[in-house]
Amino acid sequence: MINFLLARIGSAIITIFGASILAFVILRAVPTNPARLIAGPFANDEVIAQVTSQLGLDKPLFVQYFDYIVSFFAGDWGFSYSAGQPVLSQIVQRLPASAELALYAFLFAFIGAVFVTVLVSFLASKWLDRLLRLLSFISVGVPPFWLALLFLMVFFEQLGWFPGPVGRGPAPGSVHTGLFTIDYLIAGNFSGFATALHHLALPALALALGPFGYLVRLLRANLLDIVNEPFVTVLHAKGVAPVSTHFQHILPNAFLPTLTAGGLILAQLLGGSVLVERIFVWPGIGTLVIDGILRQDYAVVQAFIMLSAIIYIGVNLLVDILYGYVDPRVRRS
Amino acid sequence: MVGVVMFAIIIFIAVFGRLLWPVDPLRVDILGSLLPPSLEHPMGTDDVGRDVFARFIQGAQVSIGVAIGVTIAGTLIGGTLGLLAGLVGGWFDTIVSRTMDAILAFPPLILAMAVAIGLGPGIVSAALGVILAAIPWYFRLLRSEVLRLRTLMYVESAQALGASSFRLIRLHILPQTTSTIFIQASSVFSFSILTLAALGFVGLGIQPPTPEWGTMITEGLAYALTGQWWLGFFPGLGIFMLAVSANLIADRLRDIYDPKSGARLSL
Repeated sequence: MINFLLARIGSAIITIFGASILAFVILRAVPTNPARLIAGPFANDEVIAQVTSQLGLDKPLFVQYFDYIVSFFAGDWGFSYSAGQPVLSQIVQRLPASAELALYAFLFAFIGAVFVTVLVSFLASKWLDRLLRLLSFISVGVPPFWLALLFLMVFFEQLGWFPGPVGRGPAPGSVHTGLFTIDYLIAGNFSGFATALHHLALPALALALGPFGYLVRLLRANLLDIVNEPFVTVLHAKGVAPVSTHFQHILPNAFLPTLTAGGLILAQLLGGSVLVERIFVWPGIGTLVIDGILRQDYAVVQAFIMLSAIIYIGVNLLVDILYGYVDPRVRRS
Repeated sequence: MVGVVMFAIIIFIAVFGRLLWPVDPLRVDILGSLLPPSLEHPMGTDDVGRDVFARFIQGAQVSIGVAIGVTIAGTLIGGTLGLLAGLVGGWFDTIVSRTMDAILAFPPLILAMAVAIGLGPGIVSAALGVILAAIPWYFRLLRSEVLRLRTLMYVESAQALGASSFRLIRLHILPQTTSTIFIQASSVFSFSILTLAALGFVGLGIQPPTPEWGTMITEGLAYALTGQWWLGFFPGLGIFMLAVSANLIADRLRDIYDPKSGARLSL
């Protein structure tokens, strides 16, 4: 187990190293001189030369790379000149909003997918199964930002069931976790909790549909694989009740490979939040990134790109380790 | 079947749309702005009176054209690298595989975003971003196929008879992988449609005034909640139909070529 752990962590570190080089190469390919962007269109050559040396852009590339890595891991992610704030503090401020949205999107996707897939496989109806397959394709193919727009047009504008694009709603009085729903619960304020959930529902659902589709596809394939295993036939032959065969024997076996979707789903949530948050004016990192792109204030965007690579590698590592922990066969290979 | 029909409709609109609906997508008509869908304007008009259906047609051409280019480029580059890495092995394999790992370390959409920013917003850099994200998928697929096929008896005997690497690939390995490549290509096509639209949506795709579906949704955002639903609705519908139908076709191909997954069809 120790060897397995060390090997996985080692390869994750190499991957982070490779990814950082890639990010550096891609982002330093910027054809516009960053110094000119920062100094503004009216700056003269002298000022630009000054800003260039301030940013270290006149040093050799490998020194620039080294500076970039050291300052990234030291938490110096650059300065957002349009907000007049260091990027790190901007991201930290916005993190809870995005985290809460992603958390609920994940919960909706996971609970929904497990419920629907298990139900359909238990009922063993061919028509329901076809419907489920179609549903999974539709949910993977919907552009999340378009879905968010449709949700707003139908459930807010037409029906008035949910709040419009106003962000997270009123903030709780005392901050513990930064997640509104949790903070309201800690304060014992249940109507506040309901309001926060009400604001979360539409964006979280729009974000959840993609991961939901992936999970349904994966779970369904696993369930069908297991249903055809000889041990299930034996259980049937022994006269074990279908309910207990299904829930005690088939489901636990089918569940395990779903873990591997962890990384995929995270990728969907990270990318999706950039697309969905803007439509709901959600005060999260996704909105921050889009504002950065529109204002050509790329420091925020660069930090976000590197950060999401690290989170993504981290989650994949965690999934690998968990998988090795629960399934000894993986450890040995 | 549903997939093929949906796909055919959009392709038809993209190819023959301009002939059947010869309206200039860039013609501004301020007096006729924000008109709801009617016979005269099947998808309504936008905030400066441009015909949304004409823009939809051109958006379809842009999306499909770029997505086809991206899919072909990704297949050629990623596929060739995968074939070579599997056949040559050694340090070449190690270096390329590590590079691919680094690319895969980024969530695909975010990688494409990074490239689009690095090279400056525009349709070419957006396309390059999507190609870069797609290359490792082909690479991994073909590399593992080559490694698998190489151990098969008939390939080994061809090699023992003195067949060159090029001959091995051309006659014995590549023909065995075509179905896999086609399946992968239709998934990548769907991925590029969605990603290009997403990049357009965040302002990193093709630059206005050329219509692109993702950008059109952004433009429609301001009017979505004041009743002018058609601005954002139709381009999204186009993206949705194209992406879903390509995925359905990929799945159908998988069923046809892979008997094992075909058995899964029936419960």
